[in-house]
Amino acid sequence: MPKRKLDPLPSAAFQILLSLAGEDLHGYGIMRQIADQTGGRMRLGPGTLYSSIHTLLEEKFIEEVDTREDARLGEERRRYYRLTSAGRKLARTEAERLADLLRVARVKKIFRGDYV
Amino acid sequence: MSEKIYLWLWRLYPSHFREAYREEALQLFRDRARHERGFFRGLRLWLDLLADLAISVPREYLYVQPALTATPAQHGLDDTPSFYIQGNESPCLGALLYGGVLSLVIFTVMPGVIGHDGKYRATHSLFHQPERPTDVRPSTSGGPASQAVNDAAEEARLTGQPTLTATGLSSVEVDRGGFHSNPLSQQKGSGVPQGQPTPEHASLGVVAADEDVKLDAAQRHRIIEAAAANLRQYYFDRNVAQATAEALLAHEKSGDDAVTQGQDFADLLSRQMQGASHDMHLSMEYSRDPLPEHPPEDTPENLARYRKAMERENCMFRKVEILPRGIGYLKLDFFPDTTVCDSTAMAAMASLNRADAIIVDLRDNRGGFENMVSMIASYLFDHPEYMYSPREAPTERSWTRSPVPGNKLADKPVFVLTSASTWSGAEQFSYDLKMLRRATLVGETTRGGAHAGEFHRIDDHFGVGIPEVKPINPFGNADWEGIGVQPDVRVKAADALKVAEKLAETKLQKKLPMENSR
Repeated sequence: MPKRKLDPLPSAAFQILLSLAGEDLHGYGIMRQIADQTGGRMRLGPGTLYSSIHTLLEEKFIEEVDTREDARLGEERRRYYRLTSAGRKLARTEAERLADLLRVARVKKIFRGDYV
Repeated sequence: MSEKIYLWLWRLYPSHFREAYREEALQLFRDRARHERGFFRGLRLWLDLLADLAISVPREYLYVQPALTATPAQHGLDDTPSFYIQGNESPCLGALLYGGVLSLVIFTVMPGVIGHDGKYRATHSLFHQPERPTDVRPSTSGGPASQAVNDAAEEARLTGQPTLTATGLSSVEVDRGGFHSNPLSQQKGSGVPQGQPTPEHASLGVVAADEDVKLDAAQRHRIIEAAAANLRQYYFDRNVAQATAEALLAHEKSGDDAVTQGQDFADLLSRQMQGASHDMHLSMEYSRDPLPEHPPEDTPENLARYRKAMERENCMFRKVEILPRGIGYLKLDFFPDTTVCDSTAMAAMASLNRADAIIVDLRDNRGGFENMVSMIASYLFDHPEYMYSPREAPTERSWTRSPVPGNKLADKPVFVLTSASTWSGAEQFSYDLKMLRRATLVGETTRGGAHAGEFHRIDDHFGVGIPEVKPINPFGNADWEGIGVQPDVRVKAADALKVAEKLAETKLQKKLPMENSR
C-alpha cells in the first residue's frame, strides 16, 4: 500500500498528535480530547479517526501501548495509543509552522494587537 | 438497532481497514451513542457519522492500491537517488489509460503556457513606466489632508478609537500611543533634501495611491540611510541611536530587508529598530498616500471637524456613573485634548463629586494628551503635584492645577483599572498616581509604551518616529517603557471592576467607624 501523505500534515492527524501530548488515550478518549481542545469544532468520526491513527502508526509517530479497561467507560477493553518522540517532534514542527504563519498574518495586519 | 445500521455502513470501507478497526469503531460508536442522547444530540451524531463516511470511505479506497515494495533497488547513501519497485502487481488498464491521457494533455498545454507571457509584469515594474503619470490619483476631496482624514476614519473604525487630531490628520497617534498630536504637524528635518524630489521621489510619486509602493534595493537603501541619519541626529540616547543605526545597516547588508511592499518594509524596519533599541516608540511609518511636505495648518475647518468628532464620542468619556454604595465610576477610553474637551471633562468630574470613592477604568485606554492626564489628576489632589512624563521636560503644565474649586474628590480613595492594552498616556496616569501613592492599581500589567516619538518625514511615503527626550524620572531610573506599569492588585482585566468595587467597599467600611468615632 502506498504511503499515506503526512506532508502537509492533515489537521486531523495534527489534532491527534496534540491530544496524545499529555497522556496515553484510547480512540474515544482521543475524540473527546480533540473536541475539547478545539472548543467542540472538531468531532472526528470513526472513519477519519482510525484512518489517521493507521497512518500515524505506519509512520511511527504514535504507537500502541496496551489494551486495558477504562473504568469511567465500563468493562470493555480498549486499545491505548501513545505519542512517540518522532510524533512529538512532528507536532512541534507543525506548531512552529503555524506560528510562522501567524507572524505573517500579524505583519499583514490580519490580526491586530500583540496578544493574539 | 442503530449499532447494526452503523455496522452495515462500516462495510463500505475496504476490507483491510474494515477488519483492522471494526471493533474499535463500533466501540467508539457505542461510547458516543451512550453519551450523546436526546433527539438533537442523536441527530448530530448521525450527521457526524454520515459526513465522516462521505469523507473517509473514498480516501481509504484511494490507498487500496498495489503496495510498492519497500525494498529500494539500491539503498541510497546520503543524497544518492534510489528507486522503489512495484511488487508483482502490474498497473491496471484504467490507470495506464488515465496516465496516458493526462500526459498528453500536459504536453499539449504546457508549451503554450510557457510561451505566453500574459499580463505578468513583475519585470516591468511601475517604476519603469514614467509614461503613466495618469496613475496619480487625483485628489477628489481636498487633497492629501482629506485623504488622511479618511485613513484616520478607517483606523478609527478598526481600532474603535478616534484618531482625528486637532488638524484632523493623524492615524498614528492612538495606535502607536506615543504620538500625542498630529505627527505630521511635528515633522522636522529628514535625511533627504525636501522640496527637490530625487528620481526615486519622482518614481514613488508616480505610483498611484491605490497601489502599494514597490521598492527596489536602491530605494530601500535610501530609506534606511535616512532613518539611520535621523536616529543619530534626534534620538535622545546617542549610544543607542548609533547601535540602532548600525543594526539597520547590518540587516540591509545581510539581505534581511529584501521586501518590496511599502508596508512590509516599514514593519520590518520598525521591528529591527525596536529589536536593537528595545524602545517600542521607534517606528518606521508608511503611508500609501503621499505625505504632505509641510505640516498642515490647524485651520478652523479642521478644528471644527475634530471638535465635532470628539463631541460625537463624548470625548471618549464612555461611562460616568455612581455605582451602589457611593462608588464613582469613570470609564475613559482616551485622554482627549483639553482645548476641545475641557468642558466635558469638567462636567464628568463634577458629576462624580458626591462619590465616596472613585474607580477610573483605563482598561481600554490607549493614551492621549498629557494636558488631559494632568487635568483629570488635578481633581485627585488638594495641592499641585508633579505628573512625571517621560516624553517632555518639565513645564508648567506638568503640575496638576489642584486644588480645583468646588471639587470634593481630593481625599477620596481612588482605584485605577488597567489591562494589558492600557498604553501610553493611560500608563502615565496610572504610573504617576501609583508612585504618588494616590491610587490603587487593579488589573493587569500595562502594555509598556513610555517614550513619545517625533515624526520625521523621509519621503512621500515613509517617515520615522523617534523619541527625542528622556527627562529625569523622580521616582527612579526606570519608567514603564517595555515593561508596563505593575498593578497593586493583580487580577484579570475582566475581573478588575468587581475586585475594585469590593476593595472600595472594604476601604469605605473601615473608614466609616473612624469617622463616626471622631
